[in-house]
Amino acid sequence: MAHPLDSPVVVEALTKTFRVPVREAGLGQSVISLFKREYRDVEAVREIRFDLASGEIVGFLGPNGAGKTTTIKMLTGLLFPTSGSATVLGHQPWRREKELLRRIALVMGQRNNLAWDLPAVDSFELNKAIYGIPDEVYRERKAAYIEVLDVADIATKPVRNLSLGERMKMEIVAALLHGPEILFLDEPTIGLDVTMQRRLRQFILDYNAETGATVLLTSHYMADVSAMVSRVIVIDHGAILYDGPLTGLSDRFSAHKTIRVEAIDLPEDLDRLGRVLERKPARASIEVPREEVSAVAGHLLTVANVTDLAIEETPLEDVIDRVFSKEDEDSDHTQD
Amino acid sequence: MTTPRTEFSLVRYYRAGMRLGFQREIQYRIRAFLMLIGFMIEPTIYLVVWTSVADAQGGEIAGLTTGTLAAYYIVWTLVRVYNLGYAPDAWEWRIREGRLNEFLSQPIHPFHRDYTFFAGAKFVWTLAWIPVALFLTIIFDPVFEWAAVNVAGFVVALWGGYTVRFLMLYALGMINFWTTRGSAIFGIFVASELVLSGRLVPLELMPEWVADVAAWLPFKWTFQFPIDTFIGRLAPREILTGIGFQALWSAVLGVIFALVWKRAIRRYGAVGN
Amino acid sequence: MSRPAGPVRLARLHFKLGALNELQYRINFWVQLFNSALNLGTGLIAIAVVYNQTATLGGWTSSQLLAVLGVHVLIGGFLKTFVVPNMWVLIQDVQEGTLDYTLTRPADSQLIVSVRQINIWSLIDVVLGVGVVAWALDEMQTGLSAGGLLAFAVTLVCGAAIVYAIWITAVTIAFKAVDVGDLMQILNGVYEAGRWPVSIYPLWLRGSLTVIIPLAFAITVPAEIVTGRVPWWWLVVAVAVAAAALLVSRLIWKRGIRNYSGASA
Repeated sequence: MAHPLDSPVVVEALTKTFRVPVREAGLGQSVISLFKREYRDVEAVREIRFDLASGEIVGFLGPNGAGKTTTIKMLTGLLFPTSGSATVLGHQPWRREKELLRRIALVMGQRNNLAWDLPAVDSFELNKAIYGIPDEVYRERKAAYIEVLDVADIATKPVRNLSLGERMKMEIVAALLHGPEILFLDEPTIGLDVTMQRRLRQFILDYNAETGATVLLTSHYMADVSAMVSRVIVIDHGAILYDGPLTGLSDRFSAHKTIRVEAIDLPEDLDRLGRVLERKPARASIEVPREEVSAVAGHLLTVANVTDLAIEETPLEDVIDRVFSKEDEDSDHTQD
Repeated sequence: MTTPRTEFSLVRYYRAGMRLGFQREIQYRIRAFLMLIGFMIEPTIYLVVWTSVADAQGGEIAGLTTGTLAAYYIVWTLVRVYNLGYAPDAWEWRIREGRLNEFLSQPIHPFHRDYTFFAGAKFVWTLAWIPVALFLTIIFDPVFEWAAVNVAGFVVALWGGYTVRFLMLYALGMINFWTTRGSAIFGIFVASELVLSGRLVPLELMPEWVADVAAWLPFKWTFQFPIDTFIGRLAPREILTGIGFQALWSAVLGVIFALVWKRAIRRYGAVGN
Repeated sequence: MSRPAGPVRLARLHFKLGALNELQYRINFWVQLFNSALNLGTGLIAIAVVYNQTATLGGWTSSQLLAVLGVHVLIGGFLKTFVVPNMWVLIQDVQEGTLDYTLTRPADSQLIVSVRQINIWSLIDVVLGVGVVAWALDEMQTGLSAGGLLAFAVTLVCGAAIVYAIWITAVTIAFKAVDVGDLMQILNGVYEAGRWPVSIYPLWLRGSLTVIIPLAFAITVPAEIVTGRVPWWWLVVAVAVAAAALLVSRLIWKRGIRNYSGASA
């Protein structure tokens, strides 16, 4: 399969297997284990393949332990793959060549790359020296970022005195000062309040729009995903379950749609049509198998004076939840 | 998107890194001062013991007068802080907490970060040492051979000692990539160093074979040598020789570290944290 | 409903739990043995270097100094086994605010915070210390009468009580002002002053180690009793100092608790 030549990230049959010591219970076994260690293999990532287009923002979704962080670590050179290949901007990440490291950035949520006891601006200066950012460029970017994120007053306070949200803002500024072409974001908005999440998302979107940087983002928050990404890669138990547009996610994984209907004279027996999610005197939401959507909608239109009817995809959170609990593969829940 | 222009220079980084270390340590200057006071206790005990011995022998042992001993142990405190580097067992914490990941994803070797950070802090510690030194001088009445003191030589010897010891600690720290039981090896290191570096007592007071062994090891050049250059016990030629040994050990340890680091990172990349 | 455990039973229960917990990690035995041996080794080397240069140190012979080293290691073992682990837990409790829980328990708070944790492998130091003292006595070729042995044992117990009192007083007073790690290092440094008999120290140091931080009674005095340098009735002095030290630590503890509870109320 041909890869676009300017694809900044290319992953092919990437595999990572960990050898984990087996721990036995009981005193006798522990003594034996001092002499003879048993191991078992854990496949964290199994022959995944994908490639990112330049300037794309891709969401990397999966439950804990799915292999997201392991994949990101392999793409940033922190882990070696057991087999397969990954190419980032033409380099093999685990060789950790300086030319590559200068062009990427890794931001992990709730992690701290800034000096704890000092104001963030001091850490910015250090980053300037680490990446060799030219003076003019550094000054402009720093001023621009500080203004956009409105952090002029907190930039001079010691990082330990900042709230989590303020700290994440400074972390992101620090990460983008050297103008990376690829951003790896691992749960960047975790633990932040809604306003802060929105602020950070917008900042990253703006950065992507202005510089054309490629972004690979892992997150638990659907809001992150739906607000930012155009393409989603779903991973579970080390394998890719889905790789495509966000909109296709529901199609692929959800066997249901939700019908929202408003009418004063809704029939009583709505539960015959599907799973009733919400029932108010003049409004209802019903979850209906995809195949029956038009039938049910048509039926509602005939039996009631419908003032509004909308057909919606199952909320993404629910889709993802069900994917990972393998609940909704091909079952038919018309009645509970 | 074009590759961004980079103006990276190691010299610039060292300036920035040392500035960061200094800024951070000056924030905790009270704590630094208390640390210096804490460091005063050990040499005071040694000084008192050896002075006692010297007094019993008529005021001098192995050519060292009580005044010289006092001078030795006062400068000891300064050299002690110049010997501080990134502790080997801190690597275990760094690996476990995932901090190493942050360092590895940036285009600068962690060695430069840690070395400059501690180097910057030393300026604060030197300042904190001054009142301690004055206090000890009043109590113990040291004797310095001021005519023979070579300030430039002392400064070089001090930083040379720091470099050698930093590399020793750094290389030892690599053990933590393979086991969490590195403390045993570090224990041997500390015990050997105590005896062979001039920390417990100037090597002149040890049996001759011990002093001979010590000359072949790096410990003496991190500790006794810088002290001796300050208190004026060395001729210029001896100072130059000593600095030469420091450079030699720095090179040897640097090579050892570089080789071990490669394997350590390979292991880290295989097993993660 | 049974009565809450009395102090002795409580202490025994904690020790048993702590010991069982530690016994799982057998490799720690070897690590501790190794480190203790190193520590003892450097102490012996120091003595050897001193006596290479002189026959007596401030009136002390090398065998007598060996006895001091033995007591120092022994009491040090006691500290590392029973006291220091609890100090770390106590500091952690205060920093994380979980001391409140301890304060509401029916048993005495000072007792609880002092017996919760033990580091059983440090008992190796106690064993080594006893061995060194025995070696010193053997070298001196003076026997030890039953009475002398008893006096020695009593002074050792007093020594343990004194160092415990020093540690808990220091932690109660200073932990808020000083970084924890630094505090423990300073205490360790001060303890090192006890490795040598205080009579060889200049007056100001000797005075400090007798009156302010009575380390002299914890280490030098037991060594002097076991080597016969002082008559047996010195143990009365040791008992008196131990009692005073414990009393002071109790007062400081109570005061500290009042401040602590007052602060969070």
